[in-house]
Amino acid sequence: MQVKYKNARLSKSKVTATQDEEKLLSISRSAQCGRLGHPSIQWGPRIISYASFPKLDLTLPHLEFLSILNLGEIVSSSLCAATNLTTPSRLDLPSGFKPPQVFKNTNLVRNTNLEKSYVRETINVVVENVDNQPQNEYYVPFPAEVFDRIAGFEVRDKKAPNKGRFHVDATEAVPTSGNQYFVIHLPEPLEPKSQITLRISYQVLSALSPLPATITQDDKQYLTYSFSAFMPSAYVTDTQKTKLKFPSAIVSDYTTTDGLKSGSDPERMGATYTYGPYDTAKVAPGTEHPITVRYEFTKPVITVNLLERDLEVSHWGGNLATEERYWLRNNASQLANHFSRVKWTYTNFQKAPTSAVRELTYPLVPGSVDPYFIDDIGNVSTSRYRPSVGKKAGHLELKPRYPVFGGWNYSFRIGWNNELSSFLRRAAGVNSDSHILKVPFLEGPKMAEGVQYERVVVRVILPEGAHNVRFETVEGINSNGLPGANSIYARLNSMKTYMDTLGRTTLTLEVDSLTDEARDAMMVVTYDHSMMDALRKPFTIFAGLLTLFIAAWGIGKIDVSIKKR
Amino acid sequence: MAPSSLNVMLKGSSGRSTRGLLRVIILCTIAAAAVSSRLFSVIRFESIIHEFDPWFNFRATKYLIENGFYSFWDWFDDRTWHPLGRVTGGTLYPGLMVTSGVIYHILRLLTIPVDIRNICVLLAPGFSGLTALAMYLLTSEMSTSPSAGLLAAAFMGITPGYISRSVAGSYDNEAIAIFLLVFTFYLWIKAVKNGSIMWGALTALFYGYMVSAWGGYVFITNLIPLHVFVLLCMGRYSNRVYISYTTWYALGTLGSMQIPFVGFLPIRNSDHMSALGVFGLIQLVAFAEFIRTYLPGKEFQKLLTSMILLTVGLGFGGLVLLSVSGVIAPWSGRFYSLWDTGYAKIHIPIIASVSEHQPTAWPAFFFDLNFLIWLFPAGVFMCFQKLKDEHVFVVIYAVLASYFAGVMVRLMLTLTPIVCVAAALALSSILDSFLVASTPSSSSEAKEKPTAEDKSLRSTRKPVVGIYSFFSKSVVVGSVIVYLLLFVAHCTWVTSNAYSSPSVVLASKLPDGSQYIIDDYREAYYWLRQNTPDNAKIMAWWDYGYQIGGMADRPTLVDNNTWNNTHIATVGKAMSSREEVSYPILRQHDVDYVLVVFGGLLGYSGDDLNKFLWMVRIAEGIWPDEVKERDFFTARGEYRVDEEATPAMKNSLMYKMSYHNFQSLFPPGQAMDRVRGTKVPKESPQLNTLEEAFTSENWIVRLYKVKDLDNLGRDHSSAVAFDKGLKRKRATKHKGPRVLRTE
Repeated sequence: MQVKYKNARLSKSKVTATQDEEKLLSISRSAQCGRLGHPSIQWGPRIISYASFPKLDLTLPHLEFLSILNLGEIVSSSLCAATNLTTPSRLDLPSGFKPPQVFKNTNLVRNTNLEKSYVRETINVVVENVDNQPQNEYYVPFPAEVFDRIAGFEVRDKKAPNKGRFHVDATEAVPTSGNQYFVIHLPEPLEPKSQITLRISYQVLSALSPLPATITQDDKQYLTYSFSAFMPSAYVTDTQKTKLKFPSAIVSDYTTTDGLKSGSDPERMGATYTYGPYDTAKVAPGTEHPITVRYEFTKPVITVNLLERDLEVSHWGGNLATEERYWLRNNASQLANHFSRVKWTYTNFQKAPTSAVRELTYPLVPGSVDPYFIDDIGNVSTSRYRPSVGKKAGHLELKPRYPVFGGWNYSFRIGWNNELSSFLRRAAGVNSDSHILKVPFLEGPKMAEGVQYERVVVRVILPEGAHNVRFETVEGINSNGLPGANSIYARLNSMKTYMDTLGRTTLTLEVDSLTDEARDAMMVVTYDHSMMDALRKPFTIFAGLLTLFIAAWGIGKIDVSIKKR
Repeated sequence: MAPSSLNVMLKGSSGRSTRGLLRVIILCTIAAAAVSSRLFSVIRFESIIHEFDPWFNFRATKYLIENGFYSFWDWFDDRTWHPLGRVTGGTLYPGLMVTSGVIYHILRLLTIPVDIRNICVLLAPGFSGLTALAMYLLTSEMSTSPSAGLLAAAFMGITPGYISRSVAGSYDNEAIAIFLLVFTFYLWIKAVKNGSIMWGALTALFYGYMVSAWGGYVFITNLIPLHVFVLLCMGRYSNRVYISYTTWYALGTLGSMQIPFVGFLPIRNSDHMSALGVFGLIQLVAFAEFIRTYLPGKEFQKLLTSMILLTVGLGFGGLVLLSVSGVIAPWSGRFYSLWDTGYAKIHIPIIASVSEHQPTAWPAFFFDLNFLIWLFPAGVFMCFQKLKDEHVFVVIYAVLASYFAGVMVRLMLTLTPIVCVAAALALSSILDSFLVASTPSSSSEAKEKPTAEDKSLRSTRKPVVGIYSFFSKSVVVGSVIVYLLLFVAHCTWVTSNAYSSPSVVLASKLPDGSQYIIDDYREAYYWLRQNTPDNAKIMAWWDYGYQIGGMADRPTLVDNNTWNNTHIATVGKAMSSREEVSYPILRQHDVDYVLVVFGGLLGYSGDDLNKFLWMVRIAEGIWPDEVKERDFFTARGEYRVDEEATPAMKNSLMYKMSYHNFQSLFPPGQAMDRVRGTKVPKESPQLNTLEEAFTSENWIVRLYKVKDLDNLGRDHSSAVAFDKGLKRKRATKHKGPRVLRTE
């Protein structure tokens, strides 16, 4: 039932392959590359339909077959050099499935942060094994309609966060209960009666809705958030409480509970409201006690429906070109009347807060040059670039053509260049062809109200002939905002531009639901690229021109005159 | 050593190749100058399509590369001229789009990812480089002097008369058509000179290309027959002329008929009849020439006169008959307006309203051609001196094009090439005479003297012509150089200041001197594109139709392809009538949004209120009883928009939309219209059937949403009055004792 993927790690040994392995590699590469179609690449305003991209056939039997062979290195470097590229799959659960009641939550504290335009939750829970066997699978349920909007789900041991994130699998919805689960695999099975403190953090997209849904242009916006006072857990919870952090102390409405605890509930302290603690040892798991809060949030709810991000590596040019295409929408309250320019002029003059997107600030890595900001009909002249000075980040101030009010869309494209040398390293060793590229997975505007991404497609366009491609995300002590590597869709394509013959190896990574918590997440891509690969293009061009000249000379030599000689 | 090696370089066979190499280098430099002088707008603004028509061409090109040639050919566009649609594939000249499509596909084949927009933007400068080369070839056919061609190429490369239509981004038919025009003429001259079928066929080929590219092909269609006709009248019939003309006419006409938009016009339209007539005439002349070789003089004379009488009679009778019966289309209005500049204003206001159809002002000639314009007559005169077949062509071209350029601003474009040829001929002969360094040697003079003195009069003696004085040489050459430098400076200045504005984007300066871009058009168009339903119909004056189609990607009612005068008049009527009249029109045409351009806040003079009278006139042309131009002028005959404006003006939809809410930007009573320089009425006009949907940053573009029918079945004005006066009315109502309301 359980699916596990080899999560290959970076190591020197994988870079230096033996002769035999090289041979095997090249065979499998050519076999595989023949099947790679090249997507139609258009430069210019475009929407690439990703459905047309051929997917690499990374099915289970393949992997099993290879692991049976136990070739070690080859497992991670076969399949057209696609090594740890994964197609996330969700575990099927039988109908009527309920997680086995082997754990008990001794104490649960949920911190819900509403300061941004999406919900950030951190749950600290003390888990105890109440079974008589050691257990290692802890289930976290979510309603199926919420599950797909969970971003950056991550679990760590609270006492030892530096041990890294736990392996987490996702499941399909259970038809009877409508729940979908995250299955947390504890690194070591938890002995009976012993405890572990988990820190579960994630963000929920589109969980906040404006009320009223339409406001006039200079009204203040209010958002509502509904949740259950009892944390929906798969297990019995002894005590639990929920801390809510609001963006400001202006909370116009909130549910007060009766009889759940002694004393007033919630307890209010400035912008922090606390529901609980409740003694819920007798409450069956899954019991709900709905709570709704409504608070002022006069900021836009920036939602990126789709972000396409291209990172193009050019060895010859020594350049890393980044281009991002945004399909942005403001999910704030819509305008009750139409847009009034007069009112907007006054709002702008007073610098009054508004739920419209007035400007996006976009920090760029130091050393970024040639930024551009365009949309379907050309350059957007209302932008400004403050170049980086020294180590400080440069700032791109993007002002959309018009203020983006609630319900309005704005799609645009930005891009810039960087010196490749600050991102790319060549693996140690004299004749090593292995390259290591460390680039941000996601950049995006840095806004106080946050940005939520419904879908992010990152393409790393490697030089022509790059093979043996692997990637991983860089983990630190704290969450990097990305989901686990096994829920990132990864595949290899090839893309032909600028007189390519084979096409450039393109690593495509896709993540559904992400927030700007993942802004600084880095990823490492390693690939092999030899001197011969680099020289292919000059040779091709040389040969092409030579053919042209010879043909021209030859045609010039032909005598087609009908005169008598 | 150095002089001798220089001699080796410049004389003999190696000298010839040196000169050839130099010529190639000079021509390449000229082409590069031609391209780069057209890039002002790309550097100042961005790579953007300019003006209005190019937006349609751009949109059509995108359609072509997305859907392929055949569906482009069959393209029925239901997103313009709602609800009529337009048979776009059959009503356009596809040459331009196909050219850029071919370039695009070649680049794609080489996997060079170039955006189609950049191809379109840079097509005109690219072709202007080719035009300069074609001009070199054409002028070299006219003159033996090698410098004439180079001068003509340089003139053509940078003269503002041509740059005006070929700056980067001006993606219009003229972008490639002028090259084709010049090159077709070159091939024609070549054909006439050589009498070769190959050159004739090549002429026809490029003529076909020209037909596919621009409506101005009619100029070639008439000029070449006229050239032949004049040659025949001058008694210069030769087999060369016969071969080249018949080849060109037969192949070229067949080629031109392949374009659906042209179709059978070459045999049915009066504009093309001269070509057909001359084709017949030249057959007769050829026949007569043939007969003459067999018949004695007297009988031949008789035969000739009777034949001429018969042909003329038959031809004329046939033409009248066919015209009356309608087989041959009558002359088009545009054609009449070429002969009578007042014609269009009276009969076809839609043609007269186009700014590029206005008669040319005199300064425009100097503005567009600078010193070429006064060299031009000199060059034509020099053609008279030699008057070979090709010089006849120059003379005819010069006369015709001068006339047309005087009638319509736009036709300055066809005049420019011949001005460049003639001016280059004149200037090269000046330079050739004054630049020759060696004075005529006195020894040759001395030799001639004794023989001449004895035998003949002084006047019949062969005079020795030459420039002796170094001073006169330097003065003349120096002044020519000054003129040339002034010309270059003038061209650069004109190009930079007059012809390089995209007009979609306006530039202005902030107080601190930095550039401020006024981007209102794109702001509003992009808002439409992003935030309205895909099939929201936009009503705007036809000027903005192509831009809305290209940038906002929304269906429009009318656009710059002014094929349906009534539809345009309908829009004009809706704009110039009261709301009660306009609203049904808007509803009947499914209009969702109305777009007006208003420059009052910024002082942008090209706004709709300034074009308003044309809307009124065009509407009046169809509905003389309902819309009257007189109503929009005050009793004293003034066109006013302030408090004194006429009721018709104040109640018109256009006026209301322009000034709606404008007053609230200013302190009470101080609202100023900066275009018309007048104060605006204190009260904002009351709009009942429309509501403001979007106004761009500088108020240039204002968008109004057409209200749906009232839910309660009231008319809009009472509904609005009810909403506004709700409280007051209630206060008057509630005079009696209050009653407890029971549910």
